[in-house]
Parts: sequence; structure tokens; C-alpha cells
Amino acid sequence: MTMEAKTHSIDISALQRQNQSLRLEDETIALTVRDLELYYGEKRALHGINMDIPQNRVTAFIGPSGCGKSTLLRCFNRMNDLVDSCRIEGQMSLYGNNIYQRGVDVADLRRRVGMVFQKPNPFPKSIYENVAYGLRIQGINKKRIIDETVEWALKSAALWDEVKDRLHESALGMSGGQQQRLVIARTIAVKPEVLLLDEPASALDPISTLKIEELINELKNDFTIVIVTHNMQQAARVSDYTAFMYMGDLIEFGVTDHLFTNPAKKQTEDYITGRYG
Amino acid sequence: MSYEQDRHSNHISQSFNEELEQIRTELLTMGGLVERQLSDAVDALVAGDTEQAEQARKSDQAINDMEMMIDEQCTLIIARRQPAAADLRLIISVSKATSDLERIGDETSRICRYAIELANDGKNVRGYQEVRHIGNLVRDMLQNCLTAFARSDAEMAYKVAKQDKEVDSEYRTAMRSLMTYMMEDPRYITSIMNVMWILRGLERIGDHARNMAEHLIYLVSGTDVRHSSLKDIKRTVREVEQKK
Repeated sequence: MTMEAKTHSIDISALQRQNQSLRLEDETIALTVRDLELYYGEKRALHGINMDIPQNRVTAFIGPSGCGKSTLLRCFNRMNDLVDSCRIEGQMSLYGNNIYQRGVDVADLRRRVGMVFQKPNPFPKSIYENVAYGLRIQGINKKRIIDETVEWALKSAALWDEVKDRLHESALGMSGGQQQRLVIARTIAVKPEVLLLDEPASALDPISTLKIEELINELKNDFTIVIVTHNMQQAARVSDYTAFMYMGDLIEFGVTDHLFTNPAKKQTEDYITGRYG
Repeated sequence: MSYEQDRHSNHISQSFNEELEQIRTELLTMGGLVERQLSDAVDALVAGDTEQAEQARKSDQAINDMEMMIDEQCTLIIARRQPAAADLRLIISVSKATSDLERIGDETSRICRYAIELANDGKNVRGYQEVRHIGNLVRDMLQNCLTAFARSDAEMAYKVAKQDKEVDSEYRTAMRSLMTYMMEDPRYITSIMNVMWILRGLERIGDHARNMAEHLIYLVSGTDVRHSSLKDIKRTVREVEQKK
């Protein structure tokens, strides 16, 4: 009888292990931010940010407008260099290499850390040329390689089936959701390591939004993804880790499951439950 | 909007599909554990097998763990996915069904305790016939209930609600005859009292199975049929069938 009872019992601990949530300590860290201070002229926009962004995960930044989340995101590929009055102190490194060191090739950095913006911005070229663009400026001219990469990128962006018969038509004739996925395809075509997404779905309808979210979920197998979103529910749906920022401070950073069910800080709770912000 | 079994596998988000499928699978796994425990408890009692009873009593721990695990997952899905309509009903009904299953587990452990006590007393007590009979009925209810969940079968759930009526009337009959035994021979009062508690436990398990069936009907039809008459439940189930 004992034997029989054993065969019918179920290994609960295995089920629990399977359901166990993530832990930042177990992750490989892609991007490290240490005591980062950012000034626009006299105004201090980021106050001593410290965080580790894990590899092959989706990290979301949430917070009210003006809290500094986009500013922080733009630091990761030095987009803030384009703002004259902007000054940065502290450290930010990609796999241990400080990206603000003298002599860092910014063009190369931006190839390794790609970015997608809120509004889809395809080039006024064909769908194919949009995706091939990054490869061409890298000096890759072999048609076979470009063909393969374009197909791979469009497939990865879940767009291939919709556009494979009209690759040489203008990208501007696509819908907003398709354009945004095309821009993502263009970004991943150069095989970056990190993908920065700044409100990638806020200009899209709900179904296109869900498609983008599903795409993000697929892409994290190949890339490290950092996403800024105004939509808290979107952060809850797509991200593995969430950072809540407020007035230039990083208030809380942790596993999304915890942050959205049992946040450690009251400010976070108030924000995600819609009490302020 | 009526509910089909594989409704929740059609989301754009594949991981959402998986999460919903997972809580349902886990509910059924937990149900399997409880079903097994109940079976073992009744068998152990009738056979006077203390070891089997002890084994069954111990599986309560695993059942409790599963309840907490499934509930945690339901909480996470609500927090992360903001489910609506049938998805939301699935989560609510799974969460409620797990607490009924957990209560069934508690009742069953208690039955195991009485079974051990009775076996240790060693007296040949009357009333086992009734326990076996009602035990089988309740076991069948639980099984049907889980099948109903596995197939999203409202008709089957209605059958469970009907069976509960039968269990209730069998319980009353059994109580009357046990009372007669006690009057016949007061020396057996203590052990017959134990048998009565066991029957009471089985009857409660029947109620929990009926609750689960009602949660399933809510999941499938969107109508809350708790505290309704069998006739009302039947009407709701018919409506679901017609919509198909």
C-alpha cells in the first residue's frame, strides 16, 4: 500500500521550483549604473541612480511624467550627448566597460545598444531597404547576407508573413503597428546586445500593442531589453524587472511579480494603485 | 458570451495562454491528490488499516501547499494581466475551487484521525456500511466535479449538484439508523459518535464538491448559481447548452 501511495503522490516541490520567481542575484548583469547624476544646465534631473540591468530580461521603467525614466534610458546609448546643456557624473557600463569613458566609439555603442522610439520612424524607403540600412552603413554589401538578415529580422519582429510579398514597397504605406515592428526589425538587424524601447506602443491600438508586447517577450531570448512605458499594466505584462522612478530618484527596483503584488515602498504602492503621480 | 474549453488558449500573448492553462492543470492535479486522499481514507477506515489512514492524513500537507501555490499564481495573473470576462471568471473560479478542495482535504484528514481511533479501539462498530455507501457517492461527486472542470462541462456540474441532494438524504437516513444503534447498545455510543462525525465529514465534502460545481457553472455561463435551487441551476445549464 505504501508503495502505491507513493506512486500516486505528486512532487510538489518540483512544481514550486518551476513557479519560483526570478532573483536579481542569479542574473548575468548587462548594464550597470552607479551613482549616476545627470544635469540639464543647473537642473539635476537624475539623483544618484544605482541599478543593475540583467541580461536577456525585460526591465521596465515606470513613473509619472518628468520623473527621469526616458532621460535614464537615453543615457544607455548616449543619446543625451546630443543635448548641449546635459552633463553626466557617475558611471554607466555595458558588461563592465564604462560607456562614458574617453575614446568610446559612440556609433559602435549605438550599434550594440539599439533604440526604438515612441512614434514609428521608418525611412522613406522600401520595407527591405529599411531593414538593410544598418547593414549597409556597416559596409556589408553581400546580397545573400543582407537577404538572410532582412528575412531573419522581419521574422523575429513577427512581421515577415505580413510583408514578404511586398518587401520592395514603401514602408510608409504600412499601418502604425506594422511600422513600429519594422523599426524594431531595423534595430535588431544589426544584432545589438541591448534593445532600448521608449514607449514603443503608446501610439498604437490595443491589438497592435499586444502584438508588440508579445514580440518583446520573444525578443528577450536574444536581447536584453529595457522599456520605458507610461502604461503600468504594460510594464506588469511584459517585464521581468521593474524600476519605479519619481522626481529623478529611483524609488524601487525589483522583480515585477513582487513589485506589482507587494511593493516594498509606499510611494510605489501609491503610484501603481493610482493614488498619485 | 459562452465559454468553450479552449477559449483561454487564443490570446495574442502566448505566455498568458500558458499561465491560464497552468492554473487549470494545477487545479486538476490538486483535485487528483484530494481524490486519492479521500479514496484512501474511506478504504482505510473500512479495512481498519491505520497505516494507510496515516498516509492519507499526511498528504494534507501537500494539498495545503498546492492551495497556496495556486492562489499565489492567481494573484500574479490578476496583477500582471488584468484579465477580463472569461479569463477573469476562470481565475476567480479556480481560486475558489482550490479553497473548497483544501477544505475537502481538511475534512478527509479528520476522517483519517477518526479511522485510526476506531481501528485502535478494535471493536467491530456498526455503521461502516453507511460510511462505505456515502463515501462512494461523495467520491463519485468529486470525480465528476473534476471532470467537469477538465472539460468545462456545465451539464456534468449540474449532475454533481443533483448528487449532493442524494448525499444529503442518505446522510439523514444513516443518522437515523446510527441513532437506533446507540439506543440499542449504549456501550457503543463513543465509537458510533465517531462514525457519525465521519459521516458528517463526508456530507460536508459533498457540499464542497457542490460548491466547486457551482464555480464551474459560473465560469462557463457567467451566472452565479450559488444559493440557487436545483431548478435554477438546471435552467442556467440549459441556456449554456443552447448557446453552443
